[in-house]
Amino acid sequence: MSDLFIELQAITKRFPGVTANDHVDLAVRTGEIHAIVGENGAGKSTLMRVLYGLYQPDAGTIRVRGEPVAIESPRRALEFGIGMVHQHFMLIPVFTVAENIILGSEPSGALGSLRLREAETRVAELCTQYGFVLNPATRVDTLSVGEQQRVEIIKVLYRGAELLILDEPTAVLVPQEVDELFANLRRLREQGKTIIFISHKLDEVLQISDRITVLRRGRVMGTVDAAGTSKARLAEMMVGRPVFLELDHPPVAPGAVRLEAERLWVEAGRRQAVRGVALAVRAGEIYGIAGVEGNGQTELVEALVGLRPIRSGRLRIEGRDVTHARARAIRLMGVAHIPEDRHRRGLALPLSVWENIILGHHYRDAFVNGPLLDRQAIDAFVRARVRDYDIRVADVDAPALALSGGNQQKVIVAREFSFEPKVLVAAQPTRGLDIGATEFVQRQLLEARAKGMAVLLVSATLEEVLSLADRIGVMYGGELVAEVGRGEAGAAELGLYMTGAKRSERPPA
Amino acid sequence: MRGRLLLLQIAGPALAILFGMVISSIIILAIGRNPLEVFGLMVRFSLGRTDSLFSILFKSTPLILAGLAVAMSFRVNLFNIGVEGQYYIGAFFAAYVGFSLRGLPAAVHLPLALIAAVLGGMVWGLLPIVLKLRRGAHEVITTIMMNYIASAVLLYLINDIFRDPTQVGTPRVRTPDVAAAARIPSLAALFSPFGLTGSDVQKLNALLLLGVLLAFVLAFVLARTRFGYEVRAVSANPEAAEAAGIPNARIQFWVFMMSAGLAGLIGLNDILGFFGYLDIDFPKGLGFLGISIALLAKNNPIGVIPAALLFGFLDRGAQGVQFFARIPKETIVIMQAIIILAIVVAYELLTRYIRAQRKLEAEAAAPVGPPAAAEAEP
Repeated sequence: MSDLFIELQAITKRFPGVTANDHVDLAVRTGEIHAIVGENGAGKSTLMRVLYGLYQPDAGTIRVRGEPVAIESPRRALEFGIGMVHQHFMLIPVFTVAENIILGSEPSGALGSLRLREAETRVAELCTQYGFVLNPATRVDTLSVGEQQRVEIIKVLYRGAELLILDEPTAVLVPQEVDELFANLRRLREQGKTIIFISHKLDEVLQISDRITVLRRGRVMGTVDAAGTSKARLAEMMVGRPVFLELDHPPVAPGAVRLEAERLWVEAGRRQAVRGVALAVRAGEIYGIAGVEGNGQTELVEALVGLRPIRSGRLRIEGRDVTHARARAIRLMGVAHIPEDRHRRGLALPLSVWENIILGHHYRDAFVNGPLLDRQAIDAFVRARVRDYDIRVADVDAPALALSGGNQQKVIVAREFSFEPKVLVAAQPTRGLDIGATEFVQRQLLEARAKGMAVLLVSATLEEVLSLADRIGVMYGGELVAEVGRGEAGAAELGLYMTGAKRSERPPA
Repeated sequence: MRGRLLLLQIAGPALAILFGMVISSIIILAIGRNPLEVFGLMVRFSLGRTDSLFSILFKSTPLILAGLAVAMSFRVNLFNIGVEGQYYIGAFFAAYVGFSLRGLPAAVHLPLALIAAVLGGMVWGLLPIVLKLRRGAHEVITTIMMNYIASAVLLYLINDIFRDPTQVGTPRVRTPDVAAAARIPSLAALFSPFGLTGSDVQKLNALLLLGVLLAFVLAFVLARTRFGYEVRAVSANPEAAEAAGIPNARIQFWVFMMSAGLAGLIGLNDILGFFGYLDIDFPKGLGFLGISIALLAKNNPIGVIPAALLFGFLDRGAQGVQFFARIPKETIVIMQAIIILAIVVAYELLTRYIRAQRKLEAEAAAPVGPPAAAEAEP
C-alpha cells in the first residue's frame, strides 16, 4: 500500500439549490494516475476547484500527505505541491515558451533585471528530465495545440508541483497528440509525480490511469482499478443504468444524391475559410466531416444552409441549384439544420419552449391563419413533439433557457426532424451533452439515415464520426484533404489528415 | 417560482419610483422644505381636482404615442433616438394637409391628416434605417443628427415658407389655421352631461383613444401574429432567427418604420387636438420622454399606458408644487431623471438576478433530466 498524497473526506460543496459535491471521499496515492470520470454536472470540476483552492468546501476535510490542511487559494495549493493544467490555455502568444513559463514567478537579478537565460536553462532541464520535446526559445504562437499544452504542463512543474490536475486535457487534441500526451504523463509518473486526470472519454481513461473514481450527481459511485474494470461497467456507474456503447449501424443502400457541393469557396471576413470543397451526400447515408475545429467546418455548414454567401462554386439540393438561395428557401426545400452552437444559432433562449419548437416552421401553412398564428394547430404540434422526443419540461410556456442542455438539444432535434426533411446538416450535435443525451441524438441520426435522409455530420469528436458515418471527409485548412469509406481508415490515419501531415487525392465525389 | 419572478418584475418599477422619491426628498430637504408636505401637495393637486385629472390625460396622450414609438424600435434591438425629429416632421405634414386643403368633409380630411403625420414620421426615419441596414451606420448617431436637421427645417418651414400671412408683423410665428374638418374632435361632449367642463376638459381629444387603441393593437400583433412572432424572435436572438429563415433586416426595417410612423402622430395632440395650428413654440422634448417611458414599460405596449400616465402625473404635480409651494419645477424634473436612472439600475440587477435564478434551477434540474429522458428511448 503506497502512501496517500491527497485524501478528501466527506467533502460537501453546496450552491444555492444544488449540492455539487455530496460527502465526497477521494484518496489519491503518490505516484499514480488517478482518473475522475462523470457526466456533465456530476461535480468533477467543483471537486477539483475545491482541491486547487478556488472553492472552499462547506464541510469535510482535506489531507495532504496525511496532514489536515485548508487550501484558501491556488497559491496555497501550489505550496502544497498541487498544480492545475487548465482546459483552456492561458498563454501569451507573442512570448516564448520560457517567457510564458516564468510569467508570475520571474527570476530576477540584483536590479530587478530579468534572468531569462537562467529560466531557459531551467526549462530545458525540466524538458529533458520529463522527456518533453520543446524548445524554450520558441514563440508560443508558432506551436501546435499539443505543444502549447506541454508548455502549460511544464509551467506547473516549474512552480514545483508534485500533483498535477489535468482538466479534460484531450478535448483539444488529435489522436497522435493524445498518444504523445500519454507518453509524457507516464514519464511523469515514473519520476514520482502524481496525476489527477479528469475526463469523460472512457477509452482514454482506461488506457492511461491506474485507478478511476466515478462521480454521479455529486456523489462518489466508487473507485476501481483500471485493470479490473471495463468501459461498459464504468458507463453504467456514471449513468446509473446499462448503456449501449456500440450503436447498431445496419447497412442501408444509399439512394440518389440529395446534397451536392461543387468546388465551394466561402469567406469569413477577408479570409478564405472554405477552399474548393466538393462533396455529395446521398439519401440514406451519413457523410461525416472530421477535422480539428476552425478548419472551415463552421463556414462550410453555414454556406450549405444559406446563412453565408457562397463566393464561387455550386450548391445543389436534389439537383436544383440553390447556390444563392436564402436560408428560408433552403429550409422549405427540406433541409434541416442542427447548428453547432445551440445557444447562438439554435435557440432564442428568452422565448418559450413552444416558440422555439416552431422556430423556422412558423411560416408553414399549417401554423398560420392569415396573418395570425394558429395557436390550436401549434399547441397540438408542440404537444406531439414534446411527447415523441421526451422533452422534459413542466410547462411549454417556460423560457427555453430554463431547460437543461440535453433537453435544449432535444427541442432542436424535435424541431429539425419535423416536416420530413430530406437533408439533415448536423454540426457538433452532441457537443456538451452527457452520455444519455449523446446516445439519444446519435440514435436519432441513425434513424434519420434509416428513413432515407441524407445526413451531413460535422463533429470534432473523431469517435463519433467513425461510429456513425458511412463516408468520412477530413477538413484541414479549409480544404477537404481526404475522403474515405467506412472502415477504410482508423483514428490514427485520420489524425494525420487532421493535422495536415498527410493528404490524399480523394476519388471524385 | 414563476409567480415570484413575475412579482419581482413588477417590483422593479415600483422600487425605482420609491428610490426616485427618496433622492428627491433629500433635494427638497436641502432647499429647506418638508418632502412629505411637498409630495402630499403633489398628490392632492394632481389627483384631487378634476381639471388636474383631465390635464394628466391630455399630457399623457402624446407620451403614450412616444413611448410606443420608442418601445417598438427597442423591440428589434434598434435605438430610435430620432422620435423627436420624426414627430416634428409628422406634425408639419399633418398641419400642411390641415391648412392647405379646404372644403373636405371631416371623414376624409382628418384621416388624410393622420396619414400625412405617419408618412412624415416615416420619411424622417427612412434615412437612418437605410443607412443602418445597408451601411451599418449606427442609428443612435444618425437619428440624433436627424433631430437637429428636423428642428432647423421646421423653423425654416414655419418662419419662411408657410407663415400665416395674417400674423406677419406680430411676434407670432405660426402656420395658418388648420381646417376645422382636420381637427381631432374633443372628448368634452362625453363629459359635459356629468357637469364636467372647463378648458382642461375641452383640451382632451380623441387622440388619447387612438393611442390606447394602438397600444392594444401592437400588443396583440406582437403576441398573436406571425409578424409579431418574428419580431420577438429577432429581438430574442437575431442569429437564431436568421438560421430559422427569418429575414432580420426586413423585420428591423418595418418595425423601425412603424416606430417612426407612430412618432409622426405625437405632435397631433397639440397641433390638431388643441391649438389648430403649428407654431414655433409647440411642445418639444416629447420624443426624449418617450425613451424614459419605454424603459419604464420594459417595451411592453400595454405597460406604456401606465408609464405615460405616471409622467403626466409628475408633470401636472410639478405645476402644482411650483404654484402652491413655491418649489422650483426642476425638483420634479430631477425626480423624473432619478427614477429613470434607478429603473435602469434596478432592471439590470433584476435581469441578472432572474438569469442567475433560472440558471440555478436549470442546473438543479440537469442531473435529473437527461438520464431519465434517455430511459424512454428503447
